[in-house]
Amino acid sequence: MKTSKELMCMVGLFLLTTVQAQEIEFGKISKEELLEKEYALDPEAEALVLYRGQNTYLQSASGITRMITEVHERIKIYSKKGFSHTTESINLYNRGSDREEVRKLKAFTYTLENDKIVASELDKDQIFENEYSYNYDQVKFTMPNVKEGSVVEFKYSISSPFIWNIDEFRFQRDIPIKHLKAELRTPEGFNFKQTQKGFFRLNAKISKKRDHRLGRDVVITSFDLSNIPALKAESHVDNIDNYRAGAMFELVSIDIPGVPYKSYAQSWADVAKTIGSSSDYKNELDKTRSFKNELESMLVGKTDYLEITNLLFKYVKDNTEWNGLDGSSFQNGLKKTLKEKKGNAADINLLLVAMLRYAGVKANPVILSTKENAIPMFPTLDRLNYVIAHASIDGRDFYMDATEEFSDINLLPIRDYNWGGLLVDNHNKVWKHISHIAPKKAENIYSVNCQINEDGFAEGSYKSRLTNHSAYQFREKFKGYDLDEFLNELESIYSGIEISEYDAKNTDTFDGHLTETFAYETENGADIIGDKLYVNPLSFLRIEENPFKTDKREYPIDYGFPFRDRYMITITIPEGYAVESLPANLHMNLPNDLGTYKYVIKNVGNKIQLSVTFEINSAVISALNYLELKEYYNQMIIKGSEQVVLTKSTDEYKESAAGSR
Amino acid sequence: MRYFFLLPFYFLSLLGFSQDSDYQFDLLDSELVENANAIFRQDEMIISILSKKDLVLRRKKVITVLNELGDQYAMAYVGYDNSRKIKSISATVYDSFGNRIEKIKEKDFQDFSAVDGNTLYSDSRVKYYRYTPIQYPYTLELNYEVSTKNTGEIPATWLFLKDFMVSTEQSNLVINFASPDLEPVLKEKNLEGIEVLKNKTTQSIQYSVGKVRAFKEESLCPSFEKLAPHIKIRPVNFHYEGYDASINNWSDLGIWMSENLLRGRDELPAATISKVKALTSGIDDNLDKAKIVYKYVQENTRYISVQVGIGGIQPISAIDVDRVKYGDCKGLSNYTKALLKAVGVEAYYVHVEAGRDQVNFDQDFPDLAQGNHAILAIPYNNQYYWIDCTSQVHPFGFIGDFTDNRKVFVIKPDGGEIVTTSSYLNEQNFQLTEGLYTLFEDGSIQGELEISTKGIQYDDRFTLADQSEEKIEKHYKKHWNNINNLNVGSYQFENNRNEVRFTEQLSLSAANYASKSGDRLLFAANVFNKQQYIPARYRNRKLPFEIQRGFLDEDKFTISIPIGFGIEAIPEAINIDNKYGSYNLLIEEIDGKIILKRKLLVKSGTYANTDYSGFRDFMKNVSKYDNSKIVIKPIL
Repeated sequence: MKTSKELMCMVGLFLLTTVQAQEIEFGKISKEELLEKEYALDPEAEALVLYRGQNTYLQSASGITRMITEVHERIKIYSKKGFSHTTESINLYNRGSDREEVRKLKAFTYTLENDKIVASELDKDQIFENEYSYNYDQVKFTMPNVKEGSVVEFKYSISSPFIWNIDEFRFQRDIPIKHLKAELRTPEGFNFKQTQKGFFRLNAKISKKRDHRLGRDVVITSFDLSNIPALKAESHVDNIDNYRAGAMFELVSIDIPGVPYKSYAQSWADVAKTIGSSSDYKNELDKTRSFKNELESMLVGKTDYLEITNLLFKYVKDNTEWNGLDGSSFQNGLKKTLKEKKGNAADINLLLVAMLRYAGVKANPVILSTKENAIPMFPTLDRLNYVIAHASIDGRDFYMDATEEFSDINLLPIRDYNWGGLLVDNHNKVWKHISHIAPKKAENIYSVNCQINEDGFAEGSYKSRLTNHSAYQFREKFKGYDLDEFLNELESIYSGIEISEYDAKNTDTFDGHLTETFAYETENGADIIGDKLYVNPLSFLRIEENPFKTDKREYPIDYGFPFRDRYMITITIPEGYAVESLPANLHMNLPNDLGTYKYVIKNVGNKIQLSVTFEINSAVISALNYLELKEYYNQMIIKGSEQVVLTKSTDEYKESAAGSR
Repeated sequence: MRYFFLLPFYFLSLLGFSQDSDYQFDLLDSELVENANAIFRQDEMIISILSKKDLVLRRKKVITVLNELGDQYAMAYVGYDNSRKIKSISATVYDSFGNRIEKIKEKDFQDFSAVDGNTLYSDSRVKYYRYTPIQYPYTLELNYEVSTKNTGEIPATWLFLKDFMVSTEQSNLVINFASPDLEPVLKEKNLEGIEVLKNKTTQSIQYSVGKVRAFKEESLCPSFEKLAPHIKIRPVNFHYEGYDASINNWSDLGIWMSENLLRGRDELPAATISKVKALTSGIDDNLDKAKIVYKYVQENTRYISVQVGIGGIQPISAIDVDRVKYGDCKGLSNYTKALLKAVGVEAYYVHVEAGRDQVNFDQDFPDLAQGNHAILAIPYNNQYYWIDCTSQVHPFGFIGDFTDNRKVFVIKPDGGEIVTTSSYLNEQNFQLTEGLYTLFEDGSIQGELEISTKGIQYDDRFTLADQSEEKIEKHYKKHWNNINNLNVGSYQFENNRNEVRFTEQLSLSAANYASKSGDRLLFAANVFNKQQYIPARYRNRKLPFEIQRGFLDEDKFTISIPIGFGIEAIPEAINIDNKYGSYNLLIEEIDGKIILKRKLLVKSGTYANTDYSGFRDFMKNVSKYDNSKIVIKPIL
């Protein structure tokens, strides 16, 4: 973190104001805008941002510098569904007596009545201010007199005392934007680095301008964008914010005459080093007083570091409870965490690091950004929100997150697999970004043994064996249900079967594989059509719905973890029947070794044996492979729908069959 | 329609005698643990009505939480606003041995605005403490005291059992009143089968209930409120935000509402009056006028909720709504009523409990706490036409499943009455699907069909017309998730608002619909209306079940098969008729084509627990026969 006091003094040297030259003038609404019935580039859009203008700059008055953000927005409402875009909420951060404020709010709704433009102004009594939560106030208003076809327009400015936090410039929304201009002015010598994200080209322009009134130069970063499409949600997306068009700014250096040069530029290694020098990471992790006694007896005679790591990981999990809060620095600190047995992610995982170190294991924190927190686009501590523990034993890496009940060593909660992490190893002076923290493949086996009767009734037994994240997810889900409800849910997923003698083993531990067994029966084991029986060999285990429905896709497909599911099915056919036809075998591969599907079926005596393997080798699949993936599922579904045909065997067959017995 | 108003009767059901109890888990009665996620060890509310303008409520709850699913009952929160003040609040947490592990003082509670997503502003706030459990079971004790001048806000319900899968060890309700005229009226509900100690004096009423066992929710069962033992409480002589009231019957309440909260709220600017008069000029019939006014409201206003002070039950004035063109259900209903009045049409303001689950107002229990929504009733030809002014899309007089078929409170200037709203039952909820499709040799199908819906089925479908192309396509792909590779070719909708009928015309295709077995093709003839819902199975069903509305589906299809193919097998005709409904399926070959006729009626009704498996079997059979397959093969 930059020390804002120091910067504040320097910026006090300047007095900055803005000179605005906007083409779109507030209040100048045209009849054409009001008459427009749809947006030609996206006729489905319920509303359109006709214009958004944003200017962010610093302003000094009586020695106090504040960051001002002026906002001007004009929105066209096409349909009733677009009405929701006429309510604006402005969240204002506060810390102590420092508060963000909204100023100069003006808003109008324009409608066409009898061919005349009618303006309705937002009254002061329609603006609501609310203490929203501990650190946030909220100013909220909704526009008066809104109808289909209306244009609403508002402007306001936010004045903030937090001058070094330039909020991300967000350029994309769930409705399209026709024209957007944004500008950031920073005093020359205060160098900000810009990072862009999303699929939309931003083409920022940088210019300098002499401010004659100030006798100083300012650097202007400006964006002039047109026709920004709406950002649309899709399934299997890690975090849509990763793909939203926008720009972020960070201060990298101060270089002004008369003041010593100061660099804030950082690589991820710098960030890691900075974290390493913060008090939480520098000294705290080697303090052992608070748990020394407790661990001593547990560790007595133990020399194998892996065994010790296992013991301590389990100890922390058993003795602390996560309070649900992220964090890369302490909320409670080690002592209080131990005493109260709970804390945020840093409390718990740093406690683990400290204990491992005490026991002689080479252990360090790894700071990261979780999936919910999006990918940190550039090196800064501000965009990291979480910390896990790392141990290096005999050259092997062990990653640990003790916050969750079902996580294990090298089996982290899915949210942790986002961007790798920053290793902070103060002892060996290693501070670096590690990118290869990836989930292991879940290897699962599902086996079914069933007997089909002549009347279509089938009964059988089911057994599954799940590992890694599949087991993890099962345990979490299982825990959330009462057994009866769980079985109801299971019967509705495996539609058509009735389950009995259900048993699941290893459901409340975090290590090892999980097994599930049950017996089942169903009246839909076969379709009786004429004198034939049609049997779907995959039965209740087949996938019937393609998860991918849209025809194109922009974002990567996030599975969470790679997996291999194997199905082994043995069906005993009714006496007096013979197999007339079997589905053909099938073997498919996704490109770049991303996945395989194998379907192998055979008839042995009075049994049908089916083996299906379905494999996805990468947790994340690029959008470039989307259509192939969609088709892969399609083929899988078609194959899964194919039937085995059984016919009543002829008398000779019966005799020979009888004879062979 | 999704619009509720909030009465600030959020004393929920949550105070009491302080004593040092032993919260040791081991000493618990095992019957209380059975089926329970949490146990209310002690649940107490002491209401003291000190005067007409002074009510103090003390609440104590001690909850042992057995697992994560029980955490929600141990949330330490209390709501307040400008009239309702929290005088004290504290909580204590105990471990399973009854040792105190955490003490939470007033300053530890966080303070939040209680605004939900649908509300622009509300002055309701909440004090809340989030306890992170470190082990199960644990016990949380919450004590608080609140006071209000609004004696009309006395908690309306005291539940002796708080929810499904929660048990009660001890539950006490005490109501003290300073004088006989402040005594509230109480009504006992579902107290059969539990032991209740009652004590009444001239200045207090006490109820004390011991062990109440937990039970589970079952699919299609009545709502918890309909099953749970509870006491209903209503004030007779009370004060509410500057207004005094004496309520003995619904008529009193109607007069009180009309003369206080609704009075003078229906004035309108002259310009607006002349506008609606102009819109209806030349029209004599009141119903026709009402339709025009309703359309005007639908086109010119929208739903936005702002709740301040008495705004929980009093509508904002028609003048204010006219100015901003938005309001909540109360504001928009009152505004529409005022517009109707301006054109000479009488309409009544109505309180209703809205939601998919039909909940009746209690005929002999007049209070302000019932209901969460406001609509209008327009009397015409000896019947009422109901309109929901928060909907911008519903046809006039059609209220859908949000407020249908339930007892509501119609407020009239000279009183008020309990009336049942329009119902939509059984064959009124009708869907007719007609069409044809061709099966090709490669297993793909292509067809055209028309679906027309009425009643609640209309309600489920008609908003489709306003969706984007992308959403419409998604809707159909989800609706027909039994058809892999569905491709929606074209579609066209007609929303007949007068007849309340929605028609969808579609052309569809799907690759690989039929599956191949050798040279045979195998396919389920009923492509477009497969019953996929099978009610959950219970090994031992305990609760009765309800089908609140019922429906009728009819399907008629003509199916062409590839040239050179003949039918090898075709399903037999099926006719089922029982107390739950009926099912008829007829698939026959006529002149080389296959004709499918299907009819499914599911009747509304309330049934005993023992009928459940019969109903399930019925639905299971329907699902099975809907999947009946035809086999065709090449003719040599």
